[in-house]
This record gives sequence, C-alpha cells and structure tokens, in this order.
Amino acid sequence: MLPSPAVFHFLWEINTHLVEDGASVRTFAHLHHLGLFGRLRLTSYLPEESKAILTSHHASMQHQVSVQTTFVEPFDPIVGAQYVTLGEIDKAEGCSEAILRARVLNCVDGVDVALLQKAINEQRNFFKERDNEAGAQ
Amino acid sequence: MASEQSGAEDEPPSLLWGLDPVFSAYARLYIKDILQIRESRQVPGIYFYKNHPLFQVDVLGTVVYKREREDFYCYGVDDSTGVINCLCWKDEKWRDQGDSVKGKGHGGVFNVEEQLRKLCEAQRSRCMLEIGDLLQVRGSLKTSREQREIMASSFYKVSDPVMDVQIARMLDMPQLYRDCYNKPFQVPCAELEAGTTDAGGASNIQSMLGQSVRILKEFLKVKEVPKFRPYDVEYLLHPLIRSPVSSTSTRQEATSVGPSFPTQVKNLLKETLKLLQREGEIFRKVLSPDELYHVTEQDKDLLAAIRDVIQEDSKREKYAEKGCHILHVLSSVRQRYSRNLSREALEVALKFLECNSDIISTTDSHYTVL
Repeated sequence: MLPSPAVFHFLWEINTHLVEDGASVRTFAHLHHLGLFGRLRLTSYLPEESKAILTSHHASMQHQVSVQTTFVEPFDPIVGAQYVTLGEIDKAEGCSEAILRARVLNCVDGVDVALLQKAINEQRNFFKERDNEAGAQ
Repeated sequence: MASEQSGAEDEPPSLLWGLDPVFSAYARLYIKDILQIRESRQVPGIYFYKNHPLFQVDVLGTVVYKREREDFYCYGVDDSTGVINCLCWKDEKWRDQGDSVKGKGHGGVFNVEEQLRKLCEAQRSRCMLEIGDLLQVRGSLKTSREQREIMASSFYKVSDPVMDVQIARMLDMPQLYRDCYNKPFQVPCAELEAGTTDAGGASNIQSMLGQSVRILKEFLKVKEVPKFRPYDVEYLLHPLIRSPVSSTSTRQEATSVGPSFPTQVKNLLKETLKLLQREGEIFRKVLSPDELYHVTEQDKDLLAAIRDVIQEDSKREKYAEKGCHILHVLSSVRQRYSRNLSREALEVALKFLECNSDIISTTDSHYTVL
C-alpha cells in the first residue's frame, strides 16, 4: 500500500546507473524508486505533453532528465527555478533516456545546494559505514 | 521479576529502562530503523534500537500517501530511508467550525474570540497535509497486523521552502547516532554502583568486574569445566563483594542503603558472564530459561563440528585454494550445532584448534586442514 522509500540520488547518477546496470538488471531497473535531489533547474515545461525537463550541472557536464508531471498537475512551473522531485524512474525498452514519473515536485528555489549535497553525502557515508561494520561482524 | 528472567540476554531488565535517557525521549531514528527495530520480549509496545529501550519516536519526512477517516488522518511519511504510516487524530475542536464564522464584523477592534478562531484555523490548516508536504510527527510506536506505525501525539506541517529544516536534520542524524544511539546503554554498571555506595564507584566496579572475570576464567581453565550454570560459580565471587564492606560500621551502612548482598553478587555475576560471552569464552547453546553456559574451549562437540565443517568444505572446489572463510564456518556450525553461537566464540574455538594444529589459518579469516 505504501510506496517504496525514495532514496536520494543526484541527477547525474540516473543515466549512468542504468547504463552500468546492464541488460540483466534492466528489468529490475525498469521501475526504479528514487527521489531526485540536487541542483535541478526547471528548464522547460510542455503542459500539453505533461512533461518537464530538469537539468543539472556536474563536473562541467550538463545532465538532464524528463519528468512526467501527470500526477502533480496542476502546478505552477517557474522556469529556471530549482526543484525537488520524488518519483519512479521508468526506462522503456530501447529508449536511451529515463523518464521520471513524479509523485512530488516541489519548488525549492534558493536552496543551499552545496549544503544539501553535503547532507546527502553524510547520510550515505553513515549508512555505508554502518553496513561495513555489520558486514565485518 | 518473573518477566525479567525471561527477557533475552541483550535486553536489559525492564526495571532499569528508565535509567536510559533514550527511553524517555522521542528518539530521532531513521524510518528504516524504526521499521526494523525489534519489539521487546518483556513488554509489548517497547522497542529496542541496539540495547536502548524506546517507545516514542520523532520523524520528519515527506507525505507520500494520505487517507482520511472520520476521526483521523493516515499519512505515509518518507524520509528517504523508509516509509511509515502515521495515525494522526483529528482534534475535537475542528468539528464545530460552523458557528465560529459568526464572530465577524468587529473591524478594527481586538476581538479575543476572533483571534482564537484564527488561531484554531491556523492550527487546523497545519494539520491537513497533502502529498508532497513535509510532516513532523512525534508519537508512540506500535505494531498492528504486522505493520509498524506511529500513533501521533503531535504532528504538524513544516514549512520548509528552501529545505533548510530537512538539511539540518540530515546533518544532525548521523552525529546523533554516533554520539547516542549507537553507544551501548550500560545500566547494570550504574545499578551496581548504586549498590556499593562508595565514592569513586565507577572505577571500583570496573576493577571488581575485572577481578571477577579473572577469577572465573582461572576457575574454568583449572577445573576444565565443560558447562556450568550461574549458581554453580556464584560462590566464587563472594569474597569480592564481601571484602570492601568487611568492617562492621560500613557493613551496616551498606545493608541499610544499597541492595542486599545476594543481589550484588547476582548483578556482578550477570555482568561477568556477559563479558565472558562477549569475549567468546563461553556461550549458550540454546536460549532457554535454564541458563546453561558452555565453555568454548572445553566443548568437544563444538570443536568437532568446526573441524568437520572445515575438513569437508575445504575439499570443495570453492574453498580448495584458500580454505573456508570464517563467516562460512560460522553459518555452517550454526546450522549444525547451535544457532546461538557467537562469532567471538567461534574465533576462540578456532584459535584453540589452531594451537592444537587441528586446523591451519591461511589468511586472518580463512581456515583449512592439511
């Protein structure tokens, strides 16, 4: 009944993730639960298609993901503003780019991106450390 | 007292729970942990994170699921590690909103009723959340139909337009775990300390514990005891407790203030056995009300079981080169011999076997036979 937890991921991890996972894992990755956080900027919104594009810069590369906004409409798009979204990644067969089906799309313009990234990394490190400890015991 | 006895080894007795500050606080745990922590075997409704007893939690997360009933809302809250249901009761006051609308028309004049109505309205609006809103919940934890949920005692919508509340919490949590929740809760020491009533109790306890561990180890080794029950060895610790209060004047004091002599001995023995178990010197083959401890190095059946596992599995292709990994040995021996065997005990046994040249270690965690 409850959806799966939306784990933090940076936008630039999405496509690499799925590519690296390879064919055997693709079925598993077909519906991938995650929350997307990070430097996301709404760059365009096509209301007739219910589709928004979020972009993010990382390591001098621009990354982008298409977001299906059907579930969160109507919403007031502010192009250029920062957003946080939470939803499921859907990677259709043969389609190179993942689509994120947003369950939540919140404008958080003005967020301290560096601090948010730090917080996400702290949390990841904490769990990584703990898993390692548990594995060692 | 009866329930205390039946509690598991790692569960501190319920009488002492109140001494743990976590118990009376709203624990700020990751939802993932809230879903996984085990319920107490002594008292339902109490949960244990490590050995911290707790029953109230504090959660902050995004609402990802919502259901409204006549008297309550049910919100699914997601903090990025897990999702949990929160039952949030509606306030009685909200029902009679109809007649409160009348109070209008006193423009400019400060009207208490009007202000109160506004306050209620504001309160109400913070309790009605939509999917995507940030929710802060405090409440007690319960398990109904195999599902963990939080019965909210207070809940409200958090306005967090630039995520600073969420970020601050994300930065706080790992620190909180390291400083508090992951540190073991050590009541029995405090309890013992109360018993001695002397100044400098803590160090006193530590040295007493050290002595009793030494005495017990020595005894087990010299007598080659294969197994024992606590009452078999209790008398060994008597001199330790008696000596500090040997003079008559202090004895009177101690008996009037602290716990009785048998309780002190029991507590000390309990701590000693716990330490020995942690070191792997002894273990309990089965967890039953009958407290029977096996001495690792003297347990012939255990040693044979370990030897057999390593002997058989080292022949398998998978383990031929390096030998068996300790974790593999552990799981096999647990299946074969005792589900309750700790890794520490296995390590003690492996070391013993290696000293006798029954087995050989190839790395610091792989073992084989010649």
